[in-house]
Amino acid sequence: MKRFALLAALCTATTAQAAQDTAGLVRFVACPVYRDTDAGRKSGCWLTDDRETGKRWDVTESPYKPDWNFAVLVEGKPSANTAQPCGAPPLDPVRTSRLDIPCTRHMIPAEGFPGRRYTLPRRNIAPASVARPVPPGPYAERTFPVYFEFDKDFLVYQYDDWLIDNAVTWIKAAKPKKLVITGFAATEPETVSGVVLAERPEAAQERAETIAETMRRLLPGLAVETKWEVAAKATDEPEADGLPWQSQRRAEIRAVF
Amino acid sequence: MHFLPQRSLALPLAALVLTLAVGARGGDVPDRWWAPGEGRVLPAVLDYENANGTLRTLTVGGPLKTAGHPFFEPLGKDGRACVTCHQPADAMGLSVESARRQWERTKGKDPLFAAYDGSNCPTLPQAKRESHSLLLDRGLIRIERPWPAKSFNGKPIKPDFTIEVVRDPNGCNSGPNYGPEAGKISVYRRPRPVANMKYLLAVGFPFDPKQGYALPLDPDDGKPQSGNLMADNRAGNLRIQMDDAAATHLQMLKALSPAQRKQLQDFELRIYTAMQVTKAGGAVDSGGAKAGPARLRDSEPGALGSIGEPVWSEFKGWENISADEAAKLTPEQLTFRQSVARGARVFREKMFLITDTAGINSRIGFGNPVRNSCVFCHNMSQMGNDVAPGQVDLGTTTLPFADPWDDLPLFKVTCTGRPHPHYGKVIYTYDPGFGLTSGKCADVGKITLQSMRGLSSRAPYFSNGLAKDLRGVVDYYERRYFIGYTEQEKQDLVNLMSAL
Ligand code: HEC
Ligand code: HEC
Repeated sequence: MKRFALLAALCTATTAQAAQDTAGLVRFVACPVYRDTDAGRKSGCWLTDDRETGKRWDVTESPYKPDWNFAVLVEGKPSANTAQPCGAPPLDPVRTSRLDIPCTRHMIPAEGFPGRRYTLPRRNIAPASVARPVPPGPYAERTFPVYFEFDKDFLVYQYDDWLIDNAVTWIKAAKPKKLVITGFAATEPETVSGVVLAERPEAAQERAETIAETMRRLLPGLAVETKWEVAAKATDEPEADGLPWQSQRRAEIRAVF
Repeated sequence: MHFLPQRSLALPLAALVLTLAVGARGGDVPDRWWAPGEGRVLPAVLDYENANGTLRTLTVGGPLKTAGHPFFEPLGKDGRACVTCHQPADAMGLSVESARRQWERTKGKDPLFAAYDGSNCPTLPQAKRESHSLLLDRGLIRIERPWPAKSFNGKPIKPDFTIEVVRDPNGCNSGPNYGPEAGKISVYRRPRPVANMKYLLAVGFPFDPKQGYALPLDPDDGKPQSGNLMADNRAGNLRIQMDDAAATHLQMLKALSPAQRKQLQDFELRIYTAMQVTKAGGAVDSGGAKAGPARLRDSEPGALGSIGEPVWSEFKGWENISADEAAKLTPEQLTFRQSVARGARVFREKMFLITDTAGINSRIGFGNPVRNSCVFCHNMSQMGNDVAPGQVDLGTTTLPFADPWDDLPLFKVTCTGRPHPHYGKVIYTYDPGFGLTSGKCADVGKITLQSMRGLSSRAPYFSNGLAKDLRGVVDYYERRYFIGYTEQEKQDLVNLMSAL
């Protein structure tokens, strides 16, 4: 688990331009198909078809999964793992953002595919009762990013909660003077599968304020400032999993001393 | 107290249960109904029969003298006390059977039937039974909520939906004094049990994954709030809840005093209730099973069953009953115990597709649909409520999933911002639930998961009494999610729930 993060960090840190590089990645809009596999809880499969290439991808591993009534924006990287438990090659890492485009709901049977038995994702937080180890110093200005679904400011379960939990543990130990929270939105229009997509500029402010409210609750008494920026550029932070679009849709928590 | 002769032929079961009432030993058996201001002593261990066995209520540090105690004394002008709606025989809630029995015994004069919220609407002729039909037929109390919505700490909020009244069969959502235009919305809800509270107040994780924020902080002590009180989560802690209850249900004109608040809170945290003996299977802490109120009292609250002790694994000991143990049981007892143990497994393991259920299928990223079981939502060890704040829209109060009932008001909610993720722009609901607290159209129809303890003593179920018995609960889920339970699985679930 740790190794994966480290590897990702090494790969993306090599060149500053790496994050902008979309070679080998796929991005498209599609109506999701739910394959009703049953390997226990949360084991159903999500499939999406890229209309332009005619390829079907398994997008089940997204931290925010599709709703069968709406189109999704798929962003991902073909997985090195060749196993196809859902009956299509998997994208992993992958993101599926729910769009406000209605779809005809479509469910197909398992057709002999096993699906994936649920395992706790790497990014999961311990119960509040479990003491967090104190991160070692020295402490100096540091920025913690958190990531969002397209055009949303909703804190993603088993992704953002984990990023924030880690940030808060560090901030509690480091005791900065204040936090500056900057929300970003990818407002430059792009055409994906014939659909023009741009985040609303308000999404930047919403992200800043959502994260600020959460930080005020987790760190009562600490000064929190908010800022926002549109036309967000990609970064090469490892927890965006090498997906430049994901890295644009973020808020940054900067601890200032 | 002596109980009055039962004349109703319509309630043979109530009559049967009545004769079985168990109270303090010696002398007259006090009635199972606790009237305000009686000055009884609440024993440390108190048993009451119900149709499925014996419910046991434990008062830590008991016995407790109730004379002068604010939970038991009538504090307001209606002559009601907290205990009026939170009865020890009804698992500290109120069964519809008890409400009917009080109507018969007192010819409708019991303070339970106070015009303010013990009738369908105060404007109706109070002497008539039909003016109290929602309480007598469905066990519902009128709850008046401000409009525009106020959040749990009383802060006004700007809702992202409008609300109109489609029909008002009781008169409490229209006219000069009632309804959204008069600043009030009347909904009708079941009392929730005031027991085992440490579980409902426990904080498992620092976040509310359904709302996408860290947990809100308690305005009184600055600590994170569990978010598991009240159908609509309008009270974030017991102090706010009791102030609300005193001002509304008790029609108390003064505020509760600091001493009264302290006594109420202290009492609420000391009382535990659960089934102790099942009629068909014997004691729930015998033969390897480890259920019952004492265990509840002694366990740590707030644990997630999926990473700790599985929910209802109290009954694991009844999964494989040894031949020696079986020889001590009647065939009926053996069958029942095995059924309860299977029911616990069905609850955790029988998977189905959860669909179009806000709080689960949106906005949290589980996907719509998501395959899971009863325990996905009812996930706290020992208690079966939600470890995370449990606001979920099962559809119990909202069309098209709710049953068609013409005696409840129907509201038309129109989302002014983003449409609701599953219902779209317009929602028809009997009770917007959590939407009345958060002011968000995405929360309309969400109801906080309750405790699952003492169910046998407090039918009907769900916040609006939609399920008249435990089989009705299973039938609702079957209709809602096309689960495909076998007849045996349904019976096993019912038996499990009857033993909690
Ligand atoms: C007229 C009946 C009635 C009276 C009297 C009454 N309650 Fe309640 N109580 C209810 C109802 C109905 C609810 C559920 C309300 C809701 O969900 O909106 C409730 C809920 C509660 C809850 C929340 C439990 C949970 O699991 O969410 C607590 C605690 C509580 N009452 C305490 C009290 C106290 C303390 C008093 C006296 C000051 C009191 N009640 C008086 C009817 C009553
Ligand atoms: C999607 C989440 C979810 C799932 C899955 C779920 N429940 Fe519930 N349950 C709820 C919610 C929300 C409520 C409160 C609804 C209300 O009161 O209107 C509830 C209430 C209940 C109650 C009523 C308790 C009371 O005091 O009235 C029972 C009993 C119950 N559920 C049993 C079950 C059983 C059995 C299953 C499996 C068939 C199940 N639940 C599956 C969310 C869920």
